[in-house]
Amino acid sequence: MTTTLAVRTAPPVRVVAHPGPVLLAGIADGPSLAAHRARCGTMPVADLVQVLAAAEAAAVTGRGGAGFPLARKLRAVAEHAGRRPGRRPALVVNLAEGEPASAKDSALALLAPHQVLDGADIVARALRVREIHVVSPAERPAVGAAVEAAVTERVEAEDHVGLGNRGRWSGSGGPIRWHLHEAAPGFVSGQARAVLELIAGRPGLPVTAWAPEAISGLDGRPTLLSNAETWAQVAAALRLGPIGYAAHGTSAEPGTTLLTLPQREEPDGAVVVEAAYGSPWEQVLGDDVNRPVLLGGYHGTWAAPGALRQLTVSRVELRRHGLTLGAGVVLPLAADECPVTTTWRITAYLAAASAGRCGPCRNGLPALAAELGRLADGDGSVSWTRITALAGLVDGRGACAHPDGTARLVRSMLTTFEDEVAVHLTGGCRA
Amino acid sequence: MRVDWPVCAARGLCSELLPERIRLDEWGFPIIEGELGEELVGHAQAAVSACPHRALRLIARG
Repeated sequence: MTTTLAVRTAPPVRVVAHPGPVLLAGIADGPSLAAHRARCGTMPVADLVQVLAAAEAAAVTGRGGAGFPLARKLRAVAEHAGRRPGRRPALVVNLAEGEPASAKDSALALLAPHQVLDGADIVARALRVREIHVVSPAERPAVGAAVEAAVTERVEAEDHVGLGNRGRWSGSGGPIRWHLHEAAPGFVSGQARAVLELIAGRPGLPVTAWAPEAISGLDGRPTLLSNAETWAQVAAALRLGPIGYAAHGTSAEPGTTLLTLPQREEPDGAVVVEAAYGSPWEQVLGDDVNRPVLLGGYHGTWAAPGALRQLTVSRVELRRHGLTLGAGVVLPLAADECPVTTTWRITAYLAAASAGRCGPCRNGLPALAAELGRLADGDGSVSWTRITALAGLVDGRGACAHPDGTARLVRSMLTTFEDEVAVHLTGGCRA
Repeated sequence: MRVDWPVCAARGLCSELLPERIRLDEWGFPIIEGELGEELVGHAQAAVSACPHRALRLIARG
């Protein structure tokens, strides 16, 4: 058993971002509204049809495991919206990345906040919505401060300040009223329903969703909730137009995606890069492409050593190989790190991070972590059948996807590292 | 049939009333299996009403 760098249980202290082709293109100019407008021009004005067309042409998707198309969500919101207050659509910018290994939304908030806010602003106007909720993670106070500064700039640019009735601080810029919220620390606090609970004034914990948020979300209203990167992609799609946006990426997957990588020389840091779809993984990872790589973060899937050498940054291609990119967390193991031990440590962290409200998750995750701990230790009494049975008992049996994601990680480890698992089952460890 | 997981307290009455489709896991929480045919709908409704926490719901097949 060896120690591991890949498993972090607190957000990165330092986030470094490299300039990128679209979302991270202007970070050298600083995060100010003036710099943003000087580089990107005035915010595009678009009606709903234009926004839908742009989001569809750019194939803008969410950053959950399923990568749900934003245009479909937006269409559902528009179809279920009405004029009554109870049916007015709600818009939420979710910056609460609960996963400690992820820093892409933090990077956007700190370095390019107006890309994100533009996206929400454009869509709000297209939907004739006046209010936008922005949720920041309490664990990363710099993110909330950056968002508050950016919103203040927008409000001042409109030369009008007012107080909203919700959130700790609100201002109205033109017709838009920004409501800022802070999600409590925790892996599951950034989950969609947990965030809606928080905005509604209840504890920010996952609850059962009986219908998609786009149909019945915040206070039962049709709700468009997305992570910061997706909002920034919408703004980029409208600003650049279909041809400009497709200058990067492939025909099937135009544009770029943000990836978070560990910072080897500084364990407290994280590196955020913007990769065009279709870029070879070798270009992103260098020699680390030959290592085992956890893709999609703690709820993600393992790529075997070298498996990414022939593959590109493509959600479609990865899916064909049983892999997921999710929110773009990419964790290559160092040479002395054991994937079985790392998976155990992540599972133990995820078990501790359960909100503890759903029985199968509350009981199953610690049981799963305990079995994996014995496997990592090379305790001969562990059985493969028991681990898969426990993964089956938690999968799909909670209000949120926390147990599902944990089961995905564990199953992926069992299949990708069959040989290492076999060695562990007989009491050894190769690392 | 769907379970409201944060509300379910593993009382197990649902499994007693509809053993054909609901068994309990090792911690006492329901495992729902198989399609709910016409002949079982009455029993399923009984299981839904019997839950002291109102944690079980019948959802129309969409």
